[in-house]
Amino acid sequence: MRPVVTFAHMTLRSLVRRRTIWGISIVILIALVGIGQIPGYGVSNQGRFILDFGLFGLELGALLLAIGLASSIYPRDRERRTIMPLIAVPLSRGQYLMGRFTGAALVQSASILTGCVGLMAILVLNGHQVPADLFPAAALLIVEGWFLLAVVFFFSFWTSPPLNAPLTVLLFIVSQLSVSGFVALLPSAPALMRTLRLLLPHMDVFHIKDPIAHGLDIPGIYFVLAVVYGLSYMAFMLAVALAVFRKRDLK
Amino acid sequence: MRTVLLIASLFLLSSCRTDYDIAEVAPVEHTGEAHQHGAGETCLEHGVPMTEGHEAEHHGDDVNSGSLSGSERHLHAPGERNHGTEWFFNQPWAASFIWGKMLRDSVILVALAVAVLLISGLRRRHR
Repeated sequence: MRPVVTFAHMTLRSLVRRRTIWGISIVILIALVGIGQIPGYGVSNQGRFILDFGLFGLELGALLLAIGLASSIYPRDRERRTIMPLIAVPLSRGQYLMGRFTGAALVQSASILTGCVGLMAILVLNGHQVPADLFPAAALLIVEGWFLLAVVFFFSFWTSPPLNAPLTVLLFIVSQLSVSGFVALLPSAPALMRTLRLLLPHMDVFHIKDPIAHGLDIPGIYFVLAVVYGLSYMAFMLAVALAVFRKRDLK
Repeated sequence: MRTVLLIASLFLLSSCRTDYDIAEVAPVEHTGEAHQHGAGETCLEHGVPMTEGHEAEHHGDDVNSGSLSGSERHLHAPGERNHGTEWFFNQPWAASFIWGKMLRDSVILVALAVAVLLISGLRRRHR
């Protein structure tokens, strides 16, 4: 465990030094400020729109962060050959993956939480109430972001770097579709499409912006189930990523 | 290959053969709550009995004329689920009948993760 923590700390420091994370975080905050500037034109419940768009922006930010943070870690380590001494003695491949993943996950969580605080400030500045479920909603977006990070790590081990981002975005999009929506992409092969859909997560599990924006209460048990679901999918993707990484010849 | 076979066999378990689409697996008490205007019901907006084609005739005119807007256009009794909002209530947070399936999927995924880890570790050791 200690090597993983040390390596995660190293990863965290190296990611914070990179401009990518700051660039994406600034874009998220600018987008949130822009959402807050949309004139209300006297429409009641304007806060609903700010919340809805804000949480949607944070979700897109989670996707961008996952790609921006993780897609270049392994290719860069391999290109610079820093991975060779690392996995030769001090770290196993599993520890390397977990260290890199944990460091990137910490940076991503901090960015999404900052975005959430920014959204809260915009709501307050515009004279709207901050819903109690805003932070649980951000927690679900963080779990979704961790899952996306695991997907990016899997693709970085499995494919070439240029394919990583498009494949992750594609998975993000198709995972938003319902089963019937996914089958409608290829109606001539419903059985095949249903089987393929089994492998994809239900990303809508993490989206609770609609009830929050409309002031509906969400049972606490749902948050627990959604977090468990997201963490399970993340664990599965990390296991598959590690299986692929173990098979890679690094020479 | 063994990993793929294991994954395929686990996913083909009868309990997850079709996955869950909330609109497909929703019980009647969930889907039947949405209020639909039907013959014999009273349209609150116009205060007249609903007949076939009423909505197209009257509500269409309102929409075009712009005399009514938003909730004024279409009134429902308080607490009644509106028609056309199925998408809203067919989300996982509102569909408690699929929460058990979420838990089932989580257990399957953790089991799969452990299986993949064990198999890939064994294969690496045998190399």
